Amino acid sequence: MKNSKYIWVYGLAVTLLIIIIPIVIFAKPNDNVKKDDPWVHVTPTPVHTDHSVLMTGPYETAQDVTHACLQCHPDAAKEVQQTTHWTWLSKPVYVPERGGEYQLGKKNAINNFCIGITPNWPACTTCHVGYGWKDANFDFSENNQDSVDCLACHDNTGVYKKTKAGYPDDSVDLVAAAQSVGTPNRGNCGMCHFNGGGGNRVKHGDLDQSLLFPDKELDVHMGGYDFQCVTCHTTEHHDIRGKSISVSLDSLAAENQVACTDCHSETPHEDERINEHTDTVACQTCHIPEMARKESTKIYWDWSQAGHDLPESVHEYLKIKGSFTYEKNLVPEYRWYNETSYRYLAGDKIDPTKPTPMNYPKGDIHDPTAKIWPFKVHRGKQPYDTEYKYFLLPKTFGEGGYWTDFNWDQAFRLGAEANNLPYSGHYDFAPTEMYWPTTHMVAPKEDALQCVDCHSETGRLDWVALGYPGDPIEFGGREVSTQTVNQEGAK
Amino acid sequence: MMKRRIAIIPPSLRKYRRTIIMLSIIALTVVALASIVLAQGPFPYLPPSSTENANPGPIAHPVFPILDTDGNNVLDTGNPMSTIKTCGSCHDAEFIATHSFHADMGMANMTFPGQVKNGHPWDTSPGPYGKWSPLTYRYLTPGGDGTFDLGTASWVQLFGPRHVGGGPAATDVDGTPLPQVSVTGTDPTTHVLDENGNITTWDWSKSGVEEMNCFLCHLPSPNTNARNFMLETGKFKWANTATLFGSGIVNISADGTYEWNPNAFDADGNLLPRYTKMRDPGDDACGLCHGDVYADASTTVTINGEPGHNTATTGEIFSPQRINVSGLNVAGKTSLDRAFDIHAERAVNCVDCHPSQNNPAYFRGNPDNQLSHLIFDARRMDVGAYLKEPSHEFAKGKTTQGIDDPETNNSMRDCEGCHDPYVAHDWLPYKTSHFNSLSCQSCHIPHLYAPAIQQVDWTVIGIDGNGKKVYRGINGKLDDPASLITGFVPSLAMEKQFKEDEVVSPFNMISSWYWVAGDPVRPVRQMDLKAAYLDGDHYRSDVLAVFDSNGDGALSESELRIDTPEKESLIKQNLQALGLSNPHIVAETQPYDISHDVTNSDFAVKDCTVCHSKNSRLDQPMTLASYVPGGVVPAIFGSENVANSGEIITNDDGTLAFKPDLAKEGLYIFGHSSVWWIDWLGILSFLGVLAGVSLHGGLRYYFALKTPPPHHKLKRVYMYDVYERLWHWLQALAILLLVFTGLIIHKPDMFGMFAFPNVVSVHNVLGFLLLANALLALFYNLASGEIRQYIPQPRGYFNQMMVQAQFYMNGIFKGAEHPFEKTKNRKLNPLQQITYFGLLNVLLPLQVITGTLIWGMQHWPQFDEALGGLPVLAPIHSLIAWLFASFIVMHMYLTTTGHTPLAGIKSMIEGWDEVEVPNGEPRHIEATSAKKDNTEEA
Repeated sequence: MKNSKYIWVYGLAVTLLIIIIPIVIFAKPNDNVKKDDPWVHVTPTPVHTDHSVLMTGPYETAQDVTHACLQCHPDAAKEVQQTTHWTWLSKPVYVPERGGEYQLGKKNAINNFCIGITPNWPACTTCHVGYGWKDANFDFSENNQDSVDCLACHDNTGVYKKTKAGYPDDSVDLVAAAQSVGTPNRGNCGMCHFNGGGGNRVKHGDLDQSLLFPDKELDVHMGGYDFQCVTCHTTEHHDIRGKSISVSLDSLAAENQVACTDCHSETPHEDERINEHTDTVACQTCHIPEMARKESTKIYWDWSQAGHDLPESVHEYLKIKGSFTYEKNLVPEYRWYNETSYRYLAGDKIDPTKPTPMNYPKGDIHDPTAKIWPFKVHRGKQPYDTEYKYFLLPKTFGEGGYWTDFNWDQAFRLGAEANNLPYSGHYDFAPTEMYWPTTHMVAPKEDALQCVDCHSETGRLDWVALGYPGDPIEFGGREVSTQTVNQEGAK
Repeated sequence: MMKRRIAIIPPSLRKYRRTIIMLSIIALTVVALASIVLAQGPFPYLPPSSTENANPGPIAHPVFPILDTDGNNVLDTGNPMSTIKTCGSCHDAEFIATHSFHADMGMANMTFPGQVKNGHPWDTSPGPYGKWSPLTYRYLTPGGDGTFDLGTASWVQLFGPRHVGGGPAATDVDGTPLPQVSVTGTDPTTHVLDENGNITTWDWSKSGVEEMNCFLCHLPSPNTNARNFMLETGKFKWANTATLFGSGIVNISADGTYEWNPNAFDADGNLLPRYTKMRDPGDDACGLCHGDVYADASTTVTINGEPGHNTATTGEIFSPQRINVSGLNVAGKTSLDRAFDIHAERAVNCVDCHPSQNNPAYFRGNPDNQLSHLIFDARRMDVGAYLKEPSHEFAKGKTTQGIDDPETNNSMRDCEGCHDPYVAHDWLPYKTSHFNSLSCQSCHIPHLYAPAIQQVDWTVIGIDGNGKKVYRGINGKLDDPASLITGFVPSLAMEKQFKEDEVVSPFNMISSWYWVAGDPVRPVRQMDLKAAYLDGDHYRSDVLAVFDSNGDGALSESELRIDTPEKESLIKQNLQALGLSNPHIVAETQPYDISHDVTNSDFAVKDCTVCHSKNSRLDQPMTLASYVPGGVVPAIFGSENVANSGEIITNDDGTLAFKPDLAKEGLYIFGHSSVWWIDWLGILSFLGVLAGVSLHGGLRYYFALKTPPPHHKLKRVYMYDVYERLWHWLQALAILLLVFTGLIIHKPDMFGMFAFPNVVSVHNVLGFLLLANALLALFYNLASGEIRQYIPQPRGYFNQMMVQAQFYMNGIFKGAEHPFEKTKNRKLNPLQQITYFGLLNVLLPLQVITGTLIWGMQHWPQFDEALGGLPVLAPIHSLIAWLFASFIVMHMYLTTTGHTPLAGIKSMIEGWDEVEVPNGEPRHIEATSAKKDNTEEA
């Protein structure tokens, strides 16, 4: 019994183990295991090298700045030139309903805002990521690398400003801008994307200058967690992820898209009833209950009213553009959407008695890949050729343009020449509509739609128009057969 | 060319050459034309036409003509419509009107005053037509009563807006249509009291009757203002037609009634389809009478003046809107990110829980008639038959102030009819115990976010002739949007909510004071109150003289109350002067069940210490009144169960409160309940032992200093086996921890840093560990025969005990030897024997059994209930715990009584003990039979 000196240690250890093990096994508190952590998927923005000692200047022209950038980043301009930010035109895409390959981009698209960029380049190309696109002769090739506008995206002074043909405004201090360069922030993207359609908040409804300094209620990502655009729109070799059916022909569900499910699980809700919805309802549908929550957005633009000497008001009537309607807290319209769309191309015939969709989301209740999405629908009236039955692309900006002379006939002739689309000499105005899927301005979860916002007599979804016999809470949801899935897959 | 043509057409068909060529040309032309036409068709970019998906949608109600009471089209006659005839052309309107409490309002169960169960002595029916309420005050006079207040026609004028028509607005008690009732005496059916107080005959032929109004609930947006105006002005037959005003079907006519708009009808005299939008009653339809109900989330919830009836009585607002975006100035609303009612939010409508009783979609059948082998009973009405004869008795629960009808009580699905609480409460320990004693509402309606009536005082009246109402849950006036709504926490009381047994349920308590007089006793008429108080539009001078204490000529809130004998006797005199005998103040407190405004787990009570703590939510008093008119303390009215589950107490500041006394109802809440004398007894025993051993130890120390103890010769003995030591320390640690965790469970307020539910589970595990350890030890002791050591030998035992006691009382101080030698086979002295015998055979088993039974509340509650339930088991468990605690102190002290203070503990750790070698004096035990190899010289 000489070894009994430490017996109390063994004894205590055994006794404690006998007591603790059952407690740990049987009395462990209920921990709610967290399902998935979206932060895992968020790449932190890297710290940017301070360029103030590298970019000493002086720079005479904006191209000089780019030239300096390319000294250290020799591939940067070439990379940018591959992207649609430079080309304003997609690669050829097969369009099933047309049976051929087509290219579409801001370069040749027609919409129901300012209609088309040709031959209004200097005004429209203010937002081109280059310098000097003022006519049809702009050089898009690699010989013109110095004309890539690095500062548009990388200036961090916050006062960089582009003007006609994409040149920086005279007020810009090029040295200060060059020294400030960093990761693009909301201001860089917003300079063009908040101001689409001719000014702040015109086009998207879910993108406007209120997102420069958003609160959490406006945008839970940008306001709640200070996301920048590029936090989600991640970029490789200057190719920025994300696209919209406003200027795309191909499927958006392809690899280049940004989706909620990049970070969030497909079924992130605690309530299984809500998770049941995610096969049929896009996240955006419930989580963006209203758009334009801080600033109203344009929902109607009637070009036929232009040219009158009426009292002007930027959001109601302008002589050069016609009459408008703006709406704040706009409730979206809801359509089936499989992330592909029909697209009006210049020269397509129209039926002027009916509203012509400039684009239209594809998909219906029988399409298993389609979900119910929220859209801003911008409606308007715009000129068409009464003989050829297609929409006309007027010259609005510059010499002889409508905004200068208020002469439609002349504007159409000049536009027709530049676009190589004959004009008969007869025109009128036809109704149009354009669909903008809503995806920004995600509200905090507390503000998401509730059951009764859709499932009630006064609910916001028109079930019958969506193809249901009635409210699916009473009539049952859609049943998509596997046969349909296979057919879709075969396509 | 010829050859090729010949080659195309085979020789056998050559004779049909011309025909073939012609047919080919035609075919080609058709194809060409078709391609041109198709080319003009949908353009390639266009989406498929939306009309392809066109879908007729939910089936609409067919068109129908509107008929008058004679069955003629109102377009031809211009008469008011008859809903019974109009809807009766397809539905069995007579069946509907006679199977609806909403129409009948209790008339079918009309009886004589004083015979209504749980009613006032003057109530004549269980429903609003005959049941008096201090909230509405006016009294429907029964036939033959001495004083006349309301006749049937006045009742319809006054209460008609909250009545769907039919029933008492169409026939008398015997079912005779009102215009055909013969006028006799002052029969209230055919008479009313006019504004001068004279009883006059009511001309039912002129006013017409108000049939049950189908459109009120089945038409979206019925015009209740127009309808109510027709009722108030006594144009009863036009009330239903007025409901349509504004829809375009009727226009107002020159004589103030209505005329039919021919443009709303087709050539056959049917209403155009756009006007026949009949629907299932929406929530807004129910809200017309039942309180503040909102059918959609976008309508901002507001309170303008008096809330609707059920909102005023309970604080319930049925709306899917979240409180934080509502229009109410609710305290702390920014954090109230919850809908007013989770069911409203989740698109569960009123009729989903309160469906027609024979609606085949919801039909459940009588539980007593259900076949035990069937999960689904297909014996139910088919839809066609249901649409013809839809019962308008709606499924309901049973509320204390609602109609008590055995046939319809609890006909609705209760919470557990849709929800499985066992699935949804993973986190909750003791589910069965909780679900057996708590209604779901108790935790899932933790707070009401609207003002509700607290006090109704009809002992005084305002200038407007109405009694005073005091609301709870609001700081300021009701009609002031700046008033802060604090809402209120409902009072909890025991009531049978859907269950056989009473469970804790939430209530709002409304206390009322009013004058009664006469024989048989009746509430004093509003008219008489006005006469006693008012002189036209101001107070009588004698009233002012007594009430107006500051002499400003007006009566403030605090002046207008009967709080002095002078005030009371003045009004009494004034009432007596009106011919009323024995006027006196009575009071009652009505509990109103709260069952809406349900919230889900995010906002429900989940914190255990809300109930399991000193200030348990379960016995928080609810303020009933800020003053007590006439000093009359009310009694609970309408529910014996509620009355039994608490008492009305008067606070020091003169306010009244209802204090639940749940112990009275057999509830024992851990962490809250305790039996005071058990705890005091326990504390006394603990402190007594502590004091005793301190004294004893002090004396030992004193004597040891005075006379150093003699050195006894010692020898080392292997006293305790490894198993015995393990058993001992396991037992010791388990008991210490059990006492400690048990104390936390008993008084959680003193140990706020420990999470109550975790401590409960730890306590349970420790308990079972102790049980297992005890059973193993029992087996060991039995199998090894060691058990003998614990069993006192009867012979001479008492003497031995006395010897040991004398040693502790005397010898120990003088350094005397221990009277009994401690050996391997006789470790326990006589006192230890008796102590452990009691401890291990009585206290420990008792503690283990009561503990297991308490744990077993979850598993075999009936068995526990038979033994008295927690109120018996828990105090016993607490008392024994105290005794254990006392034992531990004593035991620990006595371990120090060896030859050195720590020798005892050391031996229990090492197994080897040093015992005194007998120095020749006679010992009081037989010689040791310890094995030689277990001893060695020290």
